[in-house]
Amino acid sequence: MVKKIKNKIMAGFALLITILIVAGSLSIYEFTNMGKSVISLIDDNYKTIADSKTMLEALEREDSGILLLLLGRWEQGREIIQAADSSFLKSLAQAENNITEENEEEHIRRIHESYTNYKALWKRPIVDTEKEGNIVWYFETLHESFLKTKSAVNDLMELNQKNLYHESTQLKNQSRRAIMPAIVAIVSVIIFSILLNFFITRYFVTPIGKLTEVIKTYNPDNRNYSMDMGFNDEIKQLEEEILNLIDKITRRQEK
Amino acid sequence: MRTEVIVRHLGYILLFNGIFLFISFLISFFGGESSAIPLLFSAITCFILGMFPMIFVPVSEDLSFNEGVIIVVAGWTITCLIGTLPYIMWGGEFSFTNAWFESVSGYTTTGSTILNDIEALPKGLLFWRSSTHFIGGIGIILFALLILPQSKSSRIVLLHAEMSEISKSNFRTNARKVIFILVLVYFGLTLSETILLMFAGLNFFDAINHSFATVATGGFSTKNLSVASFHSISVEVIIMVFMVLSGIHFGLLFNTFTGKSQNIFKSSVTRTYILVMALGIIAVALKLFTSGTFNGGDSLRFASFQVISLASTTGFANADSASWPVFTQIILMYFTIQCAMVGSTSGGMKFDRIFLFFKSIKKLITEQNHPNAVVVIKVDKNPISEQLINHTAVFIILYIFIFFLTTVLLTLANVDVMTAFSASIATIGNVGPGFGDVSSLGNFSGLPDIAKWLLSVNMLMGRLEIFNILALFYLKN
Repeated sequence: MVKKIKNKIMAGFALLITILIVAGSLSIYEFTNMGKSVISLIDDNYKTIADSKTMLEALEREDSGILLLLLGRWEQGREIIQAADSSFLKSLAQAENNITEENEEEHIRRIHESYTNYKALWKRPIVDTEKEGNIVWYFETLHESFLKTKSAVNDLMELNQKNLYHESTQLKNQSRRAIMPAIVAIVSVIIFSILLNFFITRYFVTPIGKLTEVIKTYNPDNRNYSMDMGFNDEIKQLEEEILNLIDKITRRQEK
Repeated sequence: MRTEVIVRHLGYILLFNGIFLFISFLISFFGGESSAIPLLFSAITCFILGMFPMIFVPVSEDLSFNEGVIIVVAGWTITCLIGTLPYIMWGGEFSFTNAWFESVSGYTTTGSTILNDIEALPKGLLFWRSSTHFIGGIGIILFALLILPQSKSSRIVLLHAEMSEISKSNFRTNARKVIFILVLVYFGLTLSETILLMFAGLNFFDAINHSFATVATGGFSTKNLSVASFHSISVEVIIMVFMVLSGIHFGLLFNTFTGKSQNIFKSSVTRTYILVMALGIIAVALKLFTSGTFNGGDSLRFASFQVISLASTTGFANADSASWPVFTQIILMYFTIQCAMVGSTSGGMKFDRIFLFFKSIKKLITEQNHPNAVVVIKVDKNPISEQLINHTAVFIILYIFIFFLTTVLLTLANVDVMTAFSASIATIGNVGPGFGDVSSLGNFSGLPDIAKWLLSVNMLMGRLEIFNILALFYLKN
């Protein structure tokens, strides 16, 4: 037990400050981590999901372009296909540069492979060949390849969506971990305050009250003063000094 | 009543919890786990709140009985509350209610869980979960008594408040020696089991966690499928042996290991406890075999493990007994009510009380047949006082009343009868798993929050032997 009143109060406040500093530091640490997690969430998953969506859209546009070619509308069809192809390749390149998840590389390799095969089918002339208006060729050969590529892109998107969900769940827990130290610190400080108030009353206010009572009831005929403060601190010293003083006054009066 | 003295003692208890929280933090920290910060902050909070009263309150030489009762009850409550901190801070499946339930279940060595995916927990948190069993197993107050410099009178007061009257019957020595024996046996059993489980193929982490849970008769496992996940007969046999040992009076175990005369072989209560367990195993195994549930070997294996697990109030599982024939479930339910011996780490009714209850029935019949006879109940040639007999009878009635009341209240919260009844007896008995939705391989997560709070009160009642909690309402200055 700490002996001096000053040290007692200082130690009490030091503990109080420690808990606040620790809670604050841990909250800041967790919030900083949370910020990093949000950025990595966007970088790792969200961008690839957006690229996958662009690729799917491009594939659909390419499919429409091919149907136009089958109808013999060469110029309009080629224009749509070329724009969609460029958009697809651009998104694929972006996804390739943002491989962050396990198996993501394998998914991109599959997209590459199936898209190359798909592209090889429509790259060759369609208008003014036996393919023009050939719906059987479209369904049996081209559409199969189109679905295969689309499925590969969907798989990439699903992988990133799953990880996005997982990461956001982690983020929820992280935000909880950031807030909780503050809540616990608030509750602890309330408990601290109640206890501090109790201890100050019990060990400082009550003894001072007792001393005051003794001085108030001072009677030169009664030498039997006992306050029994119990602790070896400044109040105990004050008690001893008051008793000495009473003793001195009594002796002087006797003389 | 000196509030400041009570607060200082509660501070010791917090410091003690802080040590285990810090060890759990180190596990998390070196494993790079997400639970490191919640565990560190919980440990720091414990240390700071625990140290605070020591700045102001001087060491007290003595304690009154009332102060002792309040320290024990408030100590357990505050401990359970502090135990929730790492859980709620970490998140996952832990809402405040779930964290409180898990914490109370851990400290009271009940072993009921709200977790659907135990293996998703970081290792540091799993260790903390097992530590709550270890701390609660022998009683946080007894741990504190061993470590702290206490006067003789304070030690006696706290020991009396923590242990029931009947528990002390096999200790013929002073308070300090009782605490020493309890802790020595406790640590000895834990260490031996850990080593044996490692020999049986478990890694150190699983071995120590399962040892904590076995010796404390808790039942928290690090695996979703409990002991069944190891698929190892040797692991099951080791755990069974230690479950039996942990369910026996520690004083008798100490005497047996040190070659003293008053040992488990000479104790009629222990012999009857083992005999009843053996009969239960035979009955369950025969039914499992004849009903075609398992072949002969598996029937004996699963019956032995499940009966011992429930009779010792541990609650580990190596099979899902919820799908077993009804007869076997009734037998298992009996063991859930019976519980293990006094002086062990188990909670609940305790076998010794049932033993005394049947002895007092025999006494009543003899007195009816011979109205002038003076019949004295004796256990191992020691006469048992009328006061203790009355105390036992009142305890049993109160115990039955509480689990009946809890069952009724649980059904009011729309829990089905089987789940409500078995959850009530499993929690007040500090056993862990019940039947219905809360079977041996199931969990308590599906119960409404109000049911979880009710059951956690049940667990504390079971652990503190009801009277300590009731005594709070009758304390006089």
